[in-house]
Amino acid sequence: MRDVYVAGIGITTFTRLEYPLSEIASYASMMALKDAGVTEVDQVYVANMGAARVNHQTALASAVVDSLSLTPAGAAAIENGPASGGSAIKAGFQAVASGMDDVVLVAGAERMREVNNLEATDFVATLTHPIAEYIYGVTLPAHAAMFTRLYMDKYGVTERHLAMVGVKNQNAALNNVWAHLQQEITLEGILDSPEAMTNNPYVAEPLRFFDACPVSDGGAALVLVSEEKAKELGRPLIRITGVGQATDTHAVHERSEPTDLMAVRKAAGDAFAMAGLTPQDVDVAELHDAFTILEIAESEEVGFFPKGEGHIALEKGETALGGKIPINVGGGLKGRGHPVGATGIAQAWEIVTQLRGDGGARQVQDAKIGFTCNFGGFGNNVVCLTFERED
Amino acid sequence: MAREIYAYRCRRCDTMHYPFRMVCSGCKQNDFFEFDTVPLPKNGKLLTFTKVYNLPAQYEVATLGLGIVELDNGMRMLGQIEIDDPKIGMPVKGSVEVVRKEPYDDYYGMVFRAA
Repeated sequence: MRDVYVAGIGITTFTRLEYPLSEIASYASMMALKDAGVTEVDQVYVANMGAARVNHQTALASAVVDSLSLTPAGAAAIENGPASGGSAIKAGFQAVASGMDDVVLVAGAERMREVNNLEATDFVATLTHPIAEYIYGVTLPAHAAMFTRLYMDKYGVTERHLAMVGVKNQNAALNNVWAHLQQEITLEGILDSPEAMTNNPYVAEPLRFFDACPVSDGGAALVLVSEEKAKELGRPLIRITGVGQATDTHAVHERSEPTDLMAVRKAAGDAFAMAGLTPQDVDVAELHDAFTILEIAESEEVGFFPKGEGHIALEKGETALGGKIPINVGGGLKGRGHPVGATGIAQAWEIVTQLRGDGGARQVQDAKIGFTCNFGGFGNNVVCLTFERED
Repeated sequence: MAREIYAYRCRRCDTMHYPFRMVCSGCKQNDFFEFDTVPLPKNGKLLTFTKVYNLPAQYEVATLGLGIVELDNGMRMLGQIEIDDPKIGMPVKGSVEVVRKEPYDDYYGMVFRAA
């Protein structure tokens, strides 16, 4: 298997965007191609979840490859729910590692704000089990809420811990100009003050408004290349050293231990094993905090902290910038936003930015090893990646 | 006749499944559709729950109760709950009712209330 490097990265602002989905993907791609210094690619993968349903567009990759004047390169769209981005990176990795392609563009984009909030919620809910979950009106916030209730009961996580994740990540986004939320929040405002229930109402008890990521439009892209090509291009050498993906039961109730995120543990374990790393080697991590509870639970399952102690590490500041293992220093999904198909790629974008030392006010000192966890479904399809800087 | 929701029992190894799957998760050896249907029990205890305020399109109610219930035979299922003050572990009883209405279609599922 050949080594695979990230030679270029690009991103759009995550917000409500008033231009077509294919242009969102293409804009991020242009930046990544320019960053890498390439004008021709062998293959394009475009990660997206909702084009057909939300934007009434199919075959998105065909639109993107042509718009970028990259024809006749191969092109395919990859739909894998909220883990589409991670899956597209994996596909690009396999294409380069196998020796089949030397330069692969991996883009991800979503334009969810084209429909109203109710339709967007319903669109994401279609990833749930059609007979055992979807017909009941289950949404992703509802799944996260039921999971949170168990976590609170079993491990002593409180609404304050959830709010602390929200404050940490949303305020981290103030250091990231591409991030969706650019408003400082405080525990006082969202939890402690008499106005907190108005500022921060329940969306699915016990989760509140500020426990959930925003609904965002946006795109992100990477250029993956072979070692030979990476050295020729002369960009900082950031190598993808570990790739893990795992699945779990479609219906959440079928898992023997409902607080167990087996697919996260397996995907992370496989990625670390492939890289020859341990979780303790990681300098900076991007976890999939679509809901605040998920950052706490994933920080345990990937191996940063023992099960049931993620919220204690959070209390001690170990997951903040400057802490033992800084998590989501660019805002995470909570602050940066969550255009579902783009998220896995935006996580990689942040890690590469950090490993290049380009993080500015949010830079983790001397970061050499990065990790991403892209969580699809409600934990039924997860992609984890490790990245390392080579000097 | 009362409506039922069915579990699927593998004819080879007796592993029970809900919802339906094509291959048994126990023995992984099924030929096509070697399952017997068995009505799910209606009684159980509440494992976890939520009250949802931000509902998908089609739901013309202010809030919706949802929960996962461990049924008397040890199997679990998700259902709607109509309980004023739900608590983890409380006994519940279910009945099969319309849980979603769409144009020309009614979808039936389990609704749990305090036992």
